[in-house]
Formats: sequence, structure tokens, C-alpha cells
Amino acid sequence: MKSKIGVYICHCGGNISDYVDVNKVRESVKEIQGVEISIDTMFACADSSQKQIAEDIANKKLDALVVASCSPKLHYPTFSAVAERGGLNKYNYVHANIREQVSWAHSDNKEGATEKAIKVVKSAIARVKESVPLEPIEVKAQKSIAVLGAGVAGMRAAKELADLGIQVYLIEREHFVGGRISQLDFLCGADITGKELVTQLYEKIHKHPNVTLFTGAEVIEKGGSIGNFKVKVKITPRYIKDECNPEQLQKAIDVCPVEVEDDFNFNITKRKAIYRNYDSEYPHFPTIDSKNCTRCGECEKVCSSIDFTQKEEIIDLTVGSILAATGFDPYQPKENEFGWGIENVVTLPQFRRIINMCDNKLIYKGKEIKDIAYIYCVGSRQVEGDNKYCSRYCCTATLYTSILTHKKYKGIHSFHFNRGIRTYGKQEVIYDEASRLGDIFLQSYEYDPPVVTKVNGKTNVKIEDLLTGGKEIEVNADLVVLVTGMEPRNDCSIGDVLKIPKGRDRFYNEIHMKLRPVETVIDGVTIAGACQGPKNIMESMNSALSAAAKSYSIVNKGELALEPIIAKVDKDTCVWCGKCAEACPFDAITKVNANGKEIAEINASVCKGCGMCLPVCESDSIDMDGFTNTEIESMINVLAEN
Amino acid sequence: MAKINPKFTDELKKYGAFDTNACYNCGHCTAVCSLSTEEDSFPREMVRFSVLGLEDELKTSLKPWLCYYCGECSQTCPRQAFPGELMMTLRRWLTAQYDWTKLSGLLYKSLPLSITFFILVIAAVLGYSWHENFNIEKIMHVGHYFEMFAIAGVFALIILPNIIRMWYLTIIKAGVKVKAIDYIYKFWDLLVHMFTQKRALGCDDNQVRWFEHLILVIGYLSLLFTTVALDWFGTSSKFIIYLGYAESALIFIVTFIFMYERIKKSKELSSHAHPSDWFFVIWLFLMGLTAFIVRIFIDTDLITNNLWIYLVHLIVLVQWALIIVPFGKWTHFLYRSFAMYFDALKKDQV
Repeated sequence: MKSKIGVYICHCGGNISDYVDVNKVRESVKEIQGVEISIDTMFACADSSQKQIAEDIANKKLDALVVASCSPKLHYPTFSAVAERGGLNKYNYVHANIREQVSWAHSDNKEGATEKAIKVVKSAIARVKESVPLEPIEVKAQKSIAVLGAGVAGMRAAKELADLGIQVYLIEREHFVGGRISQLDFLCGADITGKELVTQLYEKIHKHPNVTLFTGAEVIEKGGSIGNFKVKVKITPRYIKDECNPEQLQKAIDVCPVEVEDDFNFNITKRKAIYRNYDSEYPHFPTIDSKNCTRCGECEKVCSSIDFTQKEEIIDLTVGSILAATGFDPYQPKENEFGWGIENVVTLPQFRRIINMCDNKLIYKGKEIKDIAYIYCVGSRQVEGDNKYCSRYCCTATLYTSILTHKKYKGIHSFHFNRGIRTYGKQEVIYDEASRLGDIFLQSYEYDPPVVTKVNGKTNVKIEDLLTGGKEIEVNADLVVLVTGMEPRNDCSIGDVLKIPKGRDRFYNEIHMKLRPVETVIDGVTIAGACQGPKNIMESMNSALSAAAKSYSIVNKGELALEPIIAKVDKDTCVWCGKCAEACPFDAITKVNANGKEIAEINASVCKGCGMCLPVCESDSIDMDGFTNTEIESMINVLAEN
Repeated sequence: MAKINPKFTDELKKYGAFDTNACYNCGHCTAVCSLSTEEDSFPREMVRFSVLGLEDELKTSLKPWLCYYCGECSQTCPRQAFPGELMMTLRRWLTAQYDWTKLSGLLYKSLPLSITFFILVIAAVLGYSWHENFNIEKIMHVGHYFEMFAIAGVFALIILPNIIRMWYLTIIKAGVKVKAIDYIYKFWDLLVHMFTQKRALGCDDNQVRWFEHLILVIGYLSLLFTTVALDWFGTSSKFIIYLGYAESALIFIVTFIFMYERIKKSKELSSHAHPSDWFFVIWLFLMGLTAFIVRIFIDTDLITNNLWIYLVHLIVLVQWALIIVPFGKWTHFLYRSFAMYFDALKKDQV
């Protein structure tokens, strides 16, 4: 119980004192037991007033502080800092809002406002009397970070963290690194191919003493909390020995009788059950796709490096933070969506692979391609579907692809059926270049999209072109390219394991898109790259470095100071009914055995002090530090007094 | 329904257009054009049709003729797509489309072919003169009759059918329902525009150019009348002689100014000259100049011993009458005024 309380009542230059009789408020609280001083001030937030309050605390040895002024959203941090400067614990400070909730709200009734202000201040005094000093919760933090996904964002973040001296576990679900970028050859605006970019990053991480790379590996369980996550990683075998003979492996690929759709080439080609996606791929030796392998044994006959005795492994890691850079999937068009299903309708990612495979002539399914129709915003900015967002990268990627076709092949004509070209920023030059190369742009609104049909063996695209006064224009195309946007990974089980919340677009969600763009509500888990939403490579790199910096700031000191306003369980009265654990949105509550009795335990580093567990507790065994039942009840008592 | 023809811009480029594809449809050109109206909005629409290669839409349009090329659109274009020059190109292309002989198109597209034609004419005139043993009187006599027959023949065989073709494309094929009586009512428009080109006055800052052009047209038509009907080279009437001098001098002075502007590229409209533009202005200049000198030679009795000067004039004249008038830029004189006539019919359609 505090007995030397300082109460300061602010005029706010008239904002309060024009409607609230500040003197009367001061007089009516002055005699309350425990109030040492009560003072009214023109501007409590002014530097001189702050200095005065801090001096009063020190000189008069005050043990608690109340400032009645504006909204705590505005000045709670100011006055709790003043309390600390005066030598008080900041949790012995209580803020009373008599501006937004009193003077501004009741400017028509000065007497009533004054009466309400008195009650608000009295209740704050009642609460501060019961206040308890609190200290931040210290948590030890592991100096290691798990980076999920070895695409360009994940590898970039891993490299940066490793350079900073952090042990990095880079966990990749595929058997090869590089992610989506390894599927790209030429990159817009860079004199480097996607494969080269992947190689450069791989070379930086692969010999780095601080990076441990797991391929074919997936996080299947997450426990613990910020600073000390316990992560279970399942590693599927590659079935190839570490010491391997490249010539024999090539023979093994040649003799493998199993042919399946090659998803690296978006199903436009076939691959074997033992495969590598491209020659210079990393890690440098192939893998066996256990789903499709029939174990016929042909490869073992020609290659001694094959080892079917390898087993799936589960390993446990402890990390201070988790950085998820799990990427995206390209949108898969629905049957008949813009002619999807017609043999010469492909997606932009498929088309990029086709260009990669054709050297002098652009040939698809045996026919030479000259006239190409690109249909934009397929799976993005949908009117009816869920994908309301713009996928950002596709306008630029498409125009760049068109320029590539002009440079690589002769006699190409490109028709861009778009809904407004969005080659933002520096990428505008790409639009200019394509347009000067003779590309034709046709535009429609979202409710009047182009129509793709097959007529007499020709694929026809029709549009009511906005730029030609709504006139119906058609073109016969040799190839229709659906410019598909980005979607969240179809298999996003990792998000469920980590409990990262998703936005309405189903991508992982940051806490605040402007102020905290790489943190998630799961403390210690950051996100980077296209798993957060559509991004181009530069934007992915930016977010990777930013997430790396954020994750680093969590683990680098080796310990963390967390906000002490959290729930606490009364071990004597708790009888474990489990309701609190159900109500907790952060999984902070677990059942434990204490002295032969099952009770609830709250993980201090996971609890956010939201208070969801308090009202559901039937035995009233949970209390919240900083907002204890005693404090709140004392406020209610004052407010209910007549 | 219209089908895109991406190869069309390649064809148009042969008629002089360039960078048309740079257009991103902002419409600045149409906004600054002082002749464009809500009913007859250009040049953006023409640029768009050209980019898409919608030939039927272009063939049935009168809009290229409604532009008098002040060049402001090209100066304003944020993409340097030169819409003004495209309109000029479309006029050349339309001239080729109206021409049933298709020779216009071949000559516009091929400078070597044009030069070959000019050389053939030189050979023919010299060959004929040799055949006549360079008899000056005989040749001048035939030259005089040539003018009359050339005018009648070219008009009947080439120009009249081509104007009918223009009418068919821009009225019948375009689906314009004309009130029959309007053909008479609106005929005045045709004459006014033919002899005054008054629409050009609507172009910003184009008044001087309009005046020069008007003088050239009047000078040319009256010199034609003076030489053909009043037999300038054969007459002894002082009045007619001096009238001819004045008219031919006007022609070579104004065309000299035009050539000077094209060389200096002092105006937007004179900075992208196509060979056909050069032929037109140079031959007009030569016609005026050689006619002037021939008459001086006649007046000073030097002509009998200097047949060559008349032969030069005759060559220029025959080249003009058989190449430039039917297949070159000359026809814009008629197509522009007929376009105004047809546009008036169109505005008053049923």
C-alpha cells in the first residue's frame, strides 16, 4: 500500500481547465489518505513540469505517481519515464485520462465533467495505492537462428547472420537450394542469370563455418519460445552417398526407367525418378524422388553411389529465433480460365522455361511460335476469386520476357492484354523498351476480360479494347501466355507449425506493414521474401536483410528483457480444468505437475498479457501483473461510491 | 470486330512513319490539336488504328485529310512518337489506296523506282526530239498539245476514277447515308476548300504558311491556264506575257521558300521530308523557273539556237504531268478538298 503519492492535474492549456474545474479536482483529492502532494499545472508534459515532477519524487520521497491529463496513448510513455527519472519503478505510475474521456467528451456540462474528473482521478489514486513494482523478465537467448527456406531470400539472410557470428541452421525442404529463382535464366535489370545468382549465394554460405545447411529437411514441430525455440527437423534421405562418382551417377540417371512430370519445368517436360534439375545445381549431386522411385534397382547396377539403406532422420535444434523465407507458388489457372486447357495456352513460368529450351527458333509442341498473346492479371486482382492483390512482379516480368523473345528470335509479335501496366519505379524503362520494339498493348477493365477460344485450329484472343474506344479487337495467336501471379505456398504446413497468422490474402502476416514489417505476432519469428506477399528479387532481398537484422537483435545479447505485464497462476487454488489453455491465443499455458497436483503453468516469455485466460478461470486462480484484481477492484469501489 | 495486323506498321514505315509504336495512348496529341473536334477526333485514334493495323478503319476514314500539319502534336508528344508525321504518312498511304493503278504505292515506297521513271521520261522526250530532228517549232507545238492531252487524259483515266474510289471507301463502305440533294447543297464546300484551303487557317500559328500556300495554288492554277488556254509561249499579247512572267515567278519564289524551310528543318512540318515531298516542291520550282527562262529566251529570240532550254522545260513538264500529278503528292490538292466535301455530307447524313 503506497502512502506518499504525488498527484498532478494538468490544465492542458485550457483543453481541460475550460470545462473541468481543475482547482476543485485538486482540492477534493488533497485530503485522501496517502496523497502527499496534489498540484495543478498548465502543461504537465512541458519540459519544466516534467523536471519538477521528477524532482518532487526524489525530494519528497514519493512512492507512487498519478498524472491526470490526456490519453495514455499520447503521454503514458512520457510520464512513466518521468517516474523512472525520479527514481520510481515505472509500474508505480498510473495515468488518468481527463481530456479525451472527460473535458472533450462533456464540454456541454462543466459541473458533470468536474464531478467525473474527480472520480477518474480518485480511482487512479486507488489503483496506484495497490500498485506493485515490476521488473522486466530476463530470458536467456540462444545465439542461433533457424532460417527456413534456402531460396535467394533465405540464403541472403543466412549469409548475413553467419557473418555476424550467429550459428545459422538453413533448412530447405527441397533437395536443392535456389527455390524459384533457379528456375529463371535472365533477370530483368541485372546482368546475371537466376542460376548465377543462386550459385553466388550458395558459394557464400556453403563453406561458411557458421552455416549448417539441411536439404530435404522440414520443420515438423516447434516448442519453446523466443530466445529458446525447440525445433524438430525431419530430414528425408537423398539415397546418394556423400562420396559419389559423377560419371556413374549420370549413367544411373540414363538407365532409370521411371519418367514423371518435371515440376522444375512446370510439367512441360519429363524427368527421371533419379534426377537433378540442371547441371550446375547445388548441392552438386542428384537425388532420388522416393515418391516415384519403384526400387527396380537399375541404377544400383551401374552406380555404386546409390544407397537405399539411408533412413529418414529427425533432429532437434534449439534456436533463439526463426526466420521464415518459404517463398511462393505460381498461380495455377483453373480449367477453362482464359483458355487454360487449350494445348497452346501456357503460363508465364512455363513460357520462361520454353524460352530457356529453345535456342534459335521458338518452338512449342512442334510448332514455331511467332505471334504471342500475353494475358495479364491471371490469378491476381481477381473480381470473383480470393486473390484481390496485385502480384507486383508480373507486368515487369512479362514485358522483360517479351523483350527477351525479340532479342533471341526473329519475327516475334507480342500482344499484351492488360488491365493497366504497372512497371513501377525504375522498371518503367522496360515498358518503354517493349513498346518501342513494336509490342501492342490492349487494355480492358476487370469485368470485361479478354476471351480465349479455339476457332478452326487457331487460338483466338478477343478483347473490347479500352484504348480503341471499346472496339472489339481480336488476334490469332500461336501461343497464349497466361501471366500468372504469386500465391502462398500450396503446402504451407510450416506456417501452421510455427502458428504464423495469415492475412486475407493467405500470405503470412507481419505485425504492422509500415512500422514492424518483418516481425510476426509470434515473438521471435520473423518473415522475409515472397512468403509474406508478392515481391520481386530486390524487395525479397530487402526484407531478408531486414528480417535478419531483426532476428539478430533478438539473439545477439544472449538474453532478452520482456515486458512483465503477464498472467500468473495461483498454484494453491488452480485445479487444472484446461479452460485457460483453450482461451490462450499464444499457446503460453501448459499443464504441469506441481507437488503431485496438475496445475496450469504460464510460459512467461510467450504470454503477452492479453488477459483472455482471466475471465474463463472458474477458480479465479489467475491474476495479471500490472492489472491485479486488487487494483481493478479498488478502482471500481471508488467509481461506485455515491 | 477487327483483327490486329502487327505487320502494318512495317508497311507504313515505307511511307515515312517512324516510332509510331512508342505511343502509350495518353491523348496529348488530340488534346492540343486545334482542328480536332469531338465528332472528328484525331490524331490519337489514327495512331491507335495504325499500331493495331486496322486497315479497313483507316481506309474508310477521312480524318488524315482533316489534319493540316501544324506539327504541334509531334512537339507535345511525351513519347516522341511523331503523330503529326504519322498523319502525313497516312495521307501518302491513302493516296496509294485510292489509286486503282497501284503505281502510287510503288513510287512512294521505292525511291529507285521513282528515279527510274524520271529517267525513262527524259529518254522518251530526248528520243522523240531526235526523231523529230530537234525541230524546235514542231517540238514546241507538240509540247503545247501534250499539255492539253495530258491534263485531259490523266484526269479521265487516273484522277477521276481515284476520286470515285475515295468516295466509295469513305462514303459507301464507311456506311454513310447521304441525302442525295446534299451532293448539290454541299458542292460549294468543295469549291471553297479547293481554292482557299481555309481550314488550314484553323491551325495555330499557321497563317503565314497558309498565305504562301494560297499564293502557290493560285499561281500554279493560273499559270496552267495561261500556258494551256492562252498559249503563253506562242502569244504576242503583252498582257498575257507579263501575266505568265508574274505567275511563274510566284511559283519559283514560294517553292524556293518551301525548299529552304525543308533544308533548314525550321518547322515541325518541314523536318521529316519524304522523297515524294521533295519531288513535289522541286519540280514545281523547276516548272516555274524553266517556264520563266523559256519565255525570256523567246522574248530575246535566243530560243531558236537554244533548243536545249525548251527541252529541259519539256522534260520537267512531262515528268510532272505523268508522274507527280497522277501518282505523287499533287493529288492532295483534290483529296483534301473532297475530304472536306465528304465530311460535310457525313455531318448532314440521314
